[in-house]
Amino acid sequence: MAGAVSIRGLAKEFGTRRVLDGLDLEIAPGEFVALLGRSGCGKSTLLRILAGLDAEVEGAFSVPDKVSMAFQQPRLLPWRRVWRNISLGLHGVDGRAVAEKALAEVRLESHADAWPLTLSGGEAQRVSLARALVREPELLLLDEPFGALDALTRSAMHRLVEQLWREHRPSVLFVTHDVDEALLLADRVVVLEAGRIVAEHRVDLPRPRRRASFVDLRVEVLADLGVDDVEAA
Amino acid sequence: MSISTAGVVARPETVATSRAPAEKQSGKQRRNRSGRPRGRPDVARWLSPVGLVLLWQAASSAGVLPPDKLASPLTVFVSGYELVLDGSLVDAFLVSSSRVAVGFVLGTLVGGALGLASGLSRWGERLLDPPVQMLRTLPHLGLIPLFILWFGIGEEPKLALVAAGVAFPLYLNLHAGIRQADPALLEAARVLGFSRFERIAHVVLPSAVPQTLVGLRIALGTAWLSLIVGEQINADAGIGFLINNAREFLRTDVVVVGLAVYALLGLTTDALVRGLERRVLRWRAR
Ligand SMILES: Nc1ncnc2c1ncn2[C@@H]1O[C@H](COP(=O)(O)OP(=O)(O)O)[C@@H](O)[C@H]1O
Ligand SMILES: [Mg+2]
Repeated sequence: MAGAVSIRGLAKEFGTRRVLDGLDLEIAPGEFVALLGRSGCGKSTLLRILAGLDAEVEGAFSVPDKVSMAFQQPRLLPWRRVWRNISLGLHGVDGRAVAEKALAEVRLESHADAWPLTLSGGEAQRVSLARALVREPELLLLDEPFGALDALTRSAMHRLVEQLWREHRPSVLFVTHDVDEALLLADRVVVLEAGRIVAEHRVDLPRPRRRASFVDLRVEVLADLGVDDVEAA
Repeated sequence: MSISTAGVVARPETVATSRAPAEKQSGKQRRNRSGRPRGRPDVARWLSPVGLVLLWQAASSAGVLPPDKLASPLTVFVSGYELVLDGSLVDAFLVSSSRVAVGFVLGTLVGGALGLASGLSRWGERLLDPPVQMLRTLPHLGLIPLFILWFGIGEEPKLALVAAGVAFPLYLNLHAGIRQADPALLEAARVLGFSRFERIAHVVLPSAVPQTLVGLRIALGTAWLSLIVGEQINADAGIGFLINNAREFLRTDVVVVGLAVYALLGLTTDALVRGLERRVLRWRAR
């Protein structure tokens, strides 16, 4: 099915270190899944594998044809103007028009001709998001894309991502270490630990969500992450 | 002459590949060390150079500095003016400039082609880089005897010397620049579906530009140095000829004029590269 992800027994070693170890995960078409886990547990490794950046793995997985990814750092080409950053790599389309439409979606239409280094962190990250979306992915991989942003910009970005996801309906695998962020956005939250998915929670709450609506769920997820709620609060 | 800058790979100012804190930088860059706004000349910096020239003139006038050792600034100035008027300085200037220009183009073609080949292809690097790295430890000015044996004492050894002086720094910096391409950007390009050509055109080569421009500036400096040395070989025209000729007649004024022209030419080409740099690197945060 278009957009579906299926991972079976995925394992990845760096030297002797087994970072992923028999990982199973299914993502339904159009489903928004948040992947939580401690720093260094292998979240980025999993995303890189799904994006086709690392082929030396054991196990099996299938991803849709069109996969796109936004990284923690925007990774824009500083020597190409913003609109070129979005349209480069697209073939057989009017790059400028496509880029302008995508920039309008992330509310940066006035920055089409700017140099990336003149953007703020939040703006650069929005360009990175537009660049990922313009490829009309069936699977969108987001690797802590808001990790470096301030709280206000972050919540604006949450609303933006949710809105864009509703309009384009890609399957999303969203890596974060922020439980609130995961519960605000995801249909399902999964926890990665010791190389496999050790817990998962369905988040059946109406959108847009408010933090007050998932207080109990938050405690459960934090417990899965091995965090005592008292210190987290 | 024991100077060789052929082996130099200088570091360009740090290139920000993702997002640099533009706000933080701009405040700092606008002022220099003495705290003046950029662009306004610092008169105090001219005190000692002007003072030295005055001292020089005083020493000449007082007879402490005999004209057959070093002519007075005034004499140098007047001689320079006369040489311009009778056309000999212009002729010499044109001959020397065209030597540098031809040698520079040759060296750029060779150094550029080799740098691209070894930067962009694994086999190119395996085959080309070891010999070039070995040769660069050799000061290229030391090649003069061989060049004379190979090319005689006409124009060719002078051009070859300039070309060799240009090719090495350009090769080294272009090669290093290409190798420095940010793996994070290359990875992003792969995820975004760039073709190999697009990766090279939009990621690899642009990220090599700052380092290559550094190489270009070093290459131009070396080109002038090579010219000066090359023009000592049996020159019958050019600034080197002008200087050597003047030496035989103890005309230290003309020697100094020739040296001043060399210096001016060097400064001019350096300014040209700086201008190119500003234009090509305008994407850097302001
Ligand atoms: N290319 C690599 N070579 C060796 N070790 C790596 C490599 N990439 C990641 N690792 C290791 O794998 C583990 C998981 O890394 P990563 O997937 O980046 O974690 P995170 O969950 O924080 O994204 C870390 O211990 C990291 O040091
Ligand atoms: Mg990570």
